[in-house]
Amino acid sequence: MMKNFKFAIIIFCISLLIVAIFWLRSCTKNDYLELGADNTIDPTPTQIQSIKAIGEWEFLSVSLEELADTIRKGFLSDDELSRIYYGTLRLGINMHQVEPGWLEADGDSVSLMLPKIGLLDRDFIDEARTKPFFESGSWKPEDREALYRQAHESMLEHGLTKENLAAAETNAREQITSLMHAMGYRKVNISFK
Amino acid sequence: MKKVLGFAAAAVIIALLLLCNGHIVQESSGDGPHEESVYGSVDSLPMLISQVRKCSKLYTAEYRVHKIVTHDDVLRLKGSVLQRQFNIKLPLGDRKIAIPIDAKLKAWIDFSQFSERNIERRGNHITIILPDPQVTMTSSKIDQKHVRQYVALARANFSDAEMSAYQQQGRAAIIESIPSLGIFETAQANAAKVLVPMLTAMGYEEQQITIAFRKHYDANDMRGLLKIED
Repeated sequence: MMKNFKFAIIIFCISLLIVAIFWLRSCTKNDYLELGADNTIDPTPTQIQSIKAIGEWEFLSVSLEELADTIRKGFLSDDELSRIYYGTLRLGINMHQVEPGWLEADGDSVSLMLPKIGLLDRDFIDEARTKPFFESGSWKPEDREALYRQAHESMLEHGLTKENLAAAETNAREQITSLMHAMGYRKVNISFK
Repeated sequence: MKKVLGFAAAAVIIALLLLCNGHIVQESSGDGPHEESVYGSVDSLPMLISQVRKCSKLYTAEYRVHKIVTHDDVLRLKGSVLQRQFNIKLPLGDRKIAIPIDAKLKAWIDFSQFSERNIERRGNHITIILPDPQVTMTSSKIDQKHVRQYVALARANFSDAEMSAYQQQGRAAIIESIPSLGIFETAQANAAKVLVPMLTAMGYEEQQITIAFRKHYDANDMRGLLKIED
């Protein structure tokens, strides 16, 4: 009798344990732990610093990607920082640089003396679009500024070429001739300073 | 009795093993919040190229805008235990960064498709109907000298990848704010300042010249007129 009673208690305890395990499992089914931080920026206003009336006529755009990198020699290992910069060189004429008498119309003829084709804006890198490529070690803002200048120089060298300036001038002639034809002039004479 | 106890112990062990196995299967199936893939996405290095395009764009308005991108990087322990959610800020886990960005926005009018259809003449009066103005972010510059960051002892410095991600979010926020800056209206007004002197040089009096646009643009139109390179 006593044996049966003990046996029943053991069976009851085991059953209780199994039920408790399954209950605990169902309770912890969706449990998780996560260590991290929010990666979104805080909302801040965009402020207008200046508004300017411009008259830049672009005839050729040269979009460039430049990989700029720097290496710092160390005692045990070298540090390296590589970034990909994006920029667009815009070639054309600045209409605010035309001189009095730059356009002379006579009947169905028109003559235009346009400023020299050049780079319209020396700020052409979209640095906020820069893609990080590789970083080892710790780098300061001055190092990133130096990389920016390196990419700037490199883009000028690759984009502001004689060929591109000539292509911009050719396209300027075509586009302005087409515009003058639309305005009703048959003979169009274009020259650059 | 011993046999019974042995069987009972074996049953408990098997139950525990099955339970553990269930948890392992559950974790590897990736159903939970810790979903991870062994074969994650890999950034590809774009080819370093230059693209040359012919165009005829008259830029008439330039806006210089400034934005300070801030990020409060608080390390948090989030989770759920026994179906109770919690979100605890960890001590010594703060990082803060402020990145000033200067950007240049320019509005332009595309003259590449300009033709006789854009011109209306009535007697001595001429009306130029210009194509829709469009806006581009032509450049942006991080003011590296004034980047400020605070990093708690328990945290690592902001990496280049993290800072670039915040800068790209700041750039997107600037682009998002363009319709509210009034640049389209300025571009329309300034177009006349470039074209009227040209037309007066052709012999028209100022009173005889009208520079018109297709329509008045609302916020939705303006979003369609943003030309952003990504």
